[in-house]
Amino acid sequence: MAFPGLLRAAIVRRACNVLLLLLAVLVLNFSLIHLAPGDPVEALVGEMGGATPELIAQLRVQYGLDQPFIVQLMVYLGNVVQGDLGVSTYYNRPVTALVLERIGPTLLLVTSSLFSAIVLGTLLGVFSAQRRRSPLSHLVTVLSLAGFSAPVFWLGIMLILMFSVAIPILPISGMSSGDSSQGIWLYCLDVGQHLVLPALTLALIYLAFYSRLSRTSMIDVLDADYVRTARAKGLSQRQVIYKHALRNAILPVVTFAGLQFGQVLSGAVLVETVFAWPGLGTLAYESILRRDAPTLLGILFFSAMIVIAMNVFTDIVYRLVDPRIKAR
Amino acid sequence: MFYENLRSSLIRVAVASAVAFSGLVTVANAEPVRGGTLKTFTSGYRTLNPAVQSGAATGAPGSQIFAGLIQVEDNYEIQPYLAKSWEISSDQLSVTFHLVSGAKFHDGQPITSEDVAFSLEAVKANHPFGAAMFGNVESVETPDPETAVFRMSKPVPGLLLSLEPLLMPILPKHVYGDGQELKTHPRNSENVVGSGPFKVEENNPAERLTLVRNDDFFIPDRPYLDKITFAVVKDPLTRVLMMEKGDLDYAAFSGIRPNDATRLEKVTGLTVTTEGYGALGYVHYLEMNLRNKPFSDHKVREALARAIDTGFLAKVIFGGRTEPGTGPLHTGNPFYTADVTRHEPDLDTAAALLDEAGYPLGADGTRFGFTLDVPSWAPAAHGPMAEYIQATLAKLGIKVELRKAPDFGTWVKRISSFDYEATMNGSFNYPDPVIGVHRHFDCENIRNVIWANTEGYCNKDVDAMLSAAATETDLEKRKGLYADIQKTVAEDLVFIYMPQDFSATVYRDDVGNPPSTPFGALAPWTDVYLKTQ
Repeated sequence: MAFPGLLRAAIVRRACNVLLLLLAVLVLNFSLIHLAPGDPVEALVGEMGGATPELIAQLRVQYGLDQPFIVQLMVYLGNVVQGDLGVSTYYNRPVTALVLERIGPTLLLVTSSLFSAIVLGTLLGVFSAQRRRSPLSHLVTVLSLAGFSAPVFWLGIMLILMFSVAIPILPISGMSSGDSSQGIWLYCLDVGQHLVLPALTLALIYLAFYSRLSRTSMIDVLDADYVRTARAKGLSQRQVIYKHALRNAILPVVTFAGLQFGQVLSGAVLVETVFAWPGLGTLAYESILRRDAPTLLGILFFSAMIVIAMNVFTDIVYRLVDPRIKAR
Repeated sequence: MFYENLRSSLIRVAVASAVAFSGLVTVANAEPVRGGTLKTFTSGYRTLNPAVQSGAATGAPGSQIFAGLIQVEDNYEIQPYLAKSWEISSDQLSVTFHLVSGAKFHDGQPITSEDVAFSLEAVKANHPFGAAMFGNVESVETPDPETAVFRMSKPVPGLLLSLEPLLMPILPKHVYGDGQELKTHPRNSENVVGSGPFKVEENNPAERLTLVRNDDFFIPDRPYLDKITFAVVKDPLTRVLMMEKGDLDYAAFSGIRPNDATRLEKVTGLTVTTEGYGALGYVHYLEMNLRNKPFSDHKVREALARAIDTGFLAKVIFGGRTEPGTGPLHTGNPFYTADVTRHEPDLDTAAALLDEAGYPLGADGTRFGFTLDVPSWAPAAHGPMAEYIQATLAKLGIKVELRKAPDFGTWVKRISSFDYEATMNGSFNYPDPVIGVHRHFDCENIRNVIWANTEGYCNKDVDAMLSAAATETDLEKRKGLYADIQKTVAEDLVFIYMPQDFSATVYRDDVGNPPSTPFGALAPWTDVYLKTQ
């Protein structure tokens, strides 16, 4: 069997692609940041409240900004190869530590919101596909479109007003209440409470995608011959829908989820700001404003890796869901 | 399934909050009491060391972590702090400070005059205002561990005010004197060892800064609070909601707009105050590049000053809660004078001035045009100001194009390289004009540095008065000099002053002794307490 050889070739090809992609991410972003007007020292000096020209010159030397562009790029790439993502010009701390600190909260927020959007969206889609013209189905459509069109910050603030101010059952902002004496379980519960609103805000936006997608795909499948066959065999409605139809209808949802992970990552910026969620999104946004190139590049590097990992993960899920797909 | 998860988590939340509330025992106190956690916020900080970073974000926690030689009380009265007493020599060229005995840093090491000498050098070399504040301080002698003698080449009238912890924090020499660059010293944010009333318990710049009471603080029975938590909240609207709900006990530099203030004032148990910003004096102004036409012409500047109705702006933008500025000094500054030339708004006079200056109304209805830069750091104030200026100057036939900066760096680059026509701008006075005011007018300070003399103003008379005022030790004479400076600068129309900023603090009535001195939240919170425990 030529299978293992083929598989190995596929893995090698994939690894090469990943490395090239990461290199492109770094070089492109480095150049883009370099092209933007203003440099980190100017932003930093402004933030400090002004400084002497000597101090400015000294900072430029310290961050290597006095070197030509190509030298800066080569030095940076050389450091990255050695696993050194540099030091944040703003926080003056190693970028790797800074990013690792923030990546957890963002992943928690993004995965929980994406997961709930997929589960809830799919269920709503399945539901409305069965009752295509019922008023409830239309209501689902209207609601999901409203959620999709609402600006994130508005939705977030409205949810806060509703569930934290009017009916104070959930905290307004942050990731934990900072009570260091509580044990691990109480801490998890605490984080869980803080997670509900930001995750819900982000999920409501992506809910529309999944409910529409699964509805369309479900409608297609429900008209297929094998569904009719299943019904003719006398299977219950539940078995027909969830065992026969949904497993085929869910493929586009999985594809989409993998593609969308990167998008949700960027959508997290606003949610993180509104809910003071200590994640990567706000750090990325602020690093742009501060011209903190090393931090920004570090974040983009990690995000690229996450998105790539997600794509690989999607492929695996694909194979699990659809036995027709084999390693090619 | 999802619904059930949601419901069970809601029930858990409800149970958890009920448990949390039952833990509270309500005892009201009139006398200050010890204990409790004060919950406040920060919009995010770069470092915790005020010696290398000016501003409120570092200053508010920094002034709790580090002590200074003196404290500034109401009416700018200078009180002992780490220095229990001091003598000023008759020639005003030396000041001898006697330190409190037995004062210790957070790591248990004694605070000595060596640390004072080290801190002065550190601030002088690293703080953005270091040279302005202490340029004339030549050395600090340390005859014994509890005595520090400052030697000056010229009198420094603002010296004592500048020794407040915000501006001259006492740093541990045994930590920062290790030869590493202070500006980027790792201990500025990690394992910070200070000398003030509170110690750093946890510093997570992404989420929260927690300070705990320094039990070995050199003032007995202070501070009252056990703990202070600074939650990192960047969105002003989220902060307003947190205040409304009572999630924040105290919020200085709240960034709220006047209409938020009106709303919060109606909430029972909340107080909104504008006290505690006197020493900072935030002034907004329209800066014009005086090097080039048309703004090199005084008549054009006067026309603009007559076209812009700052009283109207104060009413519209700040809900009538602030006053129009009249000059470089904030109305709350002790050296402020109202006795300056003011240009009453009058469009006809403005039009006549422009005709005289050689900018008649063209056939297309315009006289000239210019680009007005709008920085990104005070959008709530500068945005509406710029839009008003655009609209009102259009009536005169001046076409204003607004250029909103996408971020801080872009704006800084344009202004500090003098590559602009006019910009909205603003800056802090700081208590002594030498720090925050001289920088904008000194001929020698025309440099490619933001908030230096970027507009390119140079008047030898003003320069002479500035130098004299910097070393004048007679308070009345000094006031006279600053009054003259304010008059000349207003006469020359160096800047067109906008309404002063609306800076507000919001606090729960449960907070006792909320900081309200001129330095406000940037002074030590040693006397702050919580009424209910």
